[in-house]
Amino acid sequence: MTVVIGFEGSANKIGIGIIRDGEVLSNPRRTYITPPGQGFMPSDTARHHRAVVLTVLKEALEEAGLKPADVDCVAYTKGPGMGAPLVTVALVARTVAQLWGKPLLGVNHCIGHIEMGRLITQANNPTVLYVSGGNTQVIAYSERRYRIFGETIDIAVGNCLDRFARVIKISNDPSPGYNIEQMAKKGSQFVELPYTVKGMDVSFSGILSYIEEASHKMLSSGQCAAEDLCFSLQETVFAMLVEITERAMAHCGSGEVLIVGGVGCNLRLQEMMGVMCKERRAKLFATDERFCIDNGAMIAQAGWEMFRSGQVTELEDSWITQRYRTDEVEVTWRD
Amino acid sequence: MAATDGERNHETGRLEFSLVVPFPSSREAVIALRSLSPDREPRKGGISKQLTVTGGTLSVRWSADEARVLRVSVNSFLDHLSLVIETMEMFGPPVPQ
Repeated sequence: MTVVIGFEGSANKIGIGIIRDGEVLSNPRRTYITPPGQGFMPSDTARHHRAVVLTVLKEALEEAGLKPADVDCVAYTKGPGMGAPLVTVALVARTVAQLWGKPLLGVNHCIGHIEMGRLITQANNPTVLYVSGGNTQVIAYSERRYRIFGETIDIAVGNCLDRFARVIKISNDPSPGYNIEQMAKKGSQFVELPYTVKGMDVSFSGILSYIEEASHKMLSSGQCAAEDLCFSLQETVFAMLVEITERAMAHCGSGEVLIVGGVGCNLRLQEMMGVMCKERRAKLFATDERFCIDNGAMIAQAGWEMFRSGQVTELEDSWITQRYRTDEVEVTWRD
Repeated sequence: MAATDGERNHETGRLEFSLVVPFPSSREAVIALRSLSPDREPRKGGISKQLTVTGGTLSVRWSADEARVLRVSVNSFLDHLSLVIETMEMFGPPVPQ
């Protein structure tokens, strides 16, 4: 049996999870929630993580009913993400790895999402849509790499949604995306927005600028309601994502889609992707908010795979990095 | 944390700052050094930092062009150090080697 503890804190969530051979033993998490109209800044987020990280670690061990001696490997997020929060969490991981005499393993955050999605859904070789506040990528596995077939050329889809939520002062509790999703259900009028698919890539910054300006005008003049804008924004950006996912599937001849990342728990996105999959007779896999949204277990799971295939990270190589592309990692645990 | 001092080195013209942190034993001092060393200074140039361990003491020496840059680096180092020490207190002592 191999037990891996995973530390995640690359954005506004801090989570520590423990995995024993595919079984999630514990996965506590805290979210740094900012007031409506405000985003999370690196130093404030690091302060939040700093304040709770040791409590979350204690919880993770207690919930799992394990002692440090039972742990075989300490995994942490090496990147990508915000520097200050990444360092905060890495410091604790490095320190406990040494205190407990365990090997350390730096994990790519995106790989964590993919491996957790594969574990939970048992998808075998899916085309992956990875959508979150910081990342938007369509990924497929080939020859020891998770290769990026398409991605955003500017901001992430989740960033577009989060920033729109700030413009019209939607609450960030539990998350801006969740609140947009609920409001969108009450929207009835479709407001046409720019649709920006460029080959295999997508762009969201122009849509954001457009809807920002439109919302000021249309909301004050009563031409439409905030709910209509939420609805229109979701329909537009999700349609773009479904389009590039479908194209990647056609390219790879793939019969499976896996949606991961925080935006992946949006049920409307899952529904739209489901329609496309049905037409192609493909299978759709998605997870709920426990595993879609950043968490510690996903880092533990990717760490488990890496550790079992013989990888470890020496302390001197354990620096964090804000930029770390999915395809930089050699996938040593798949054929 | 014991003695700290800040001064301008007249030979190099650079600001220097040193910090001495006592630990229960050399084992803990080495753990702290290895936890705190991997991440490089965020900005390129203008500042350098050297960590050494002698017995149970961690020594840090900074050398910087500007006081502003030095303050930011020392500040963040002290934040990181306190987190490492707190982690040791809650999840230590280190297992025998």
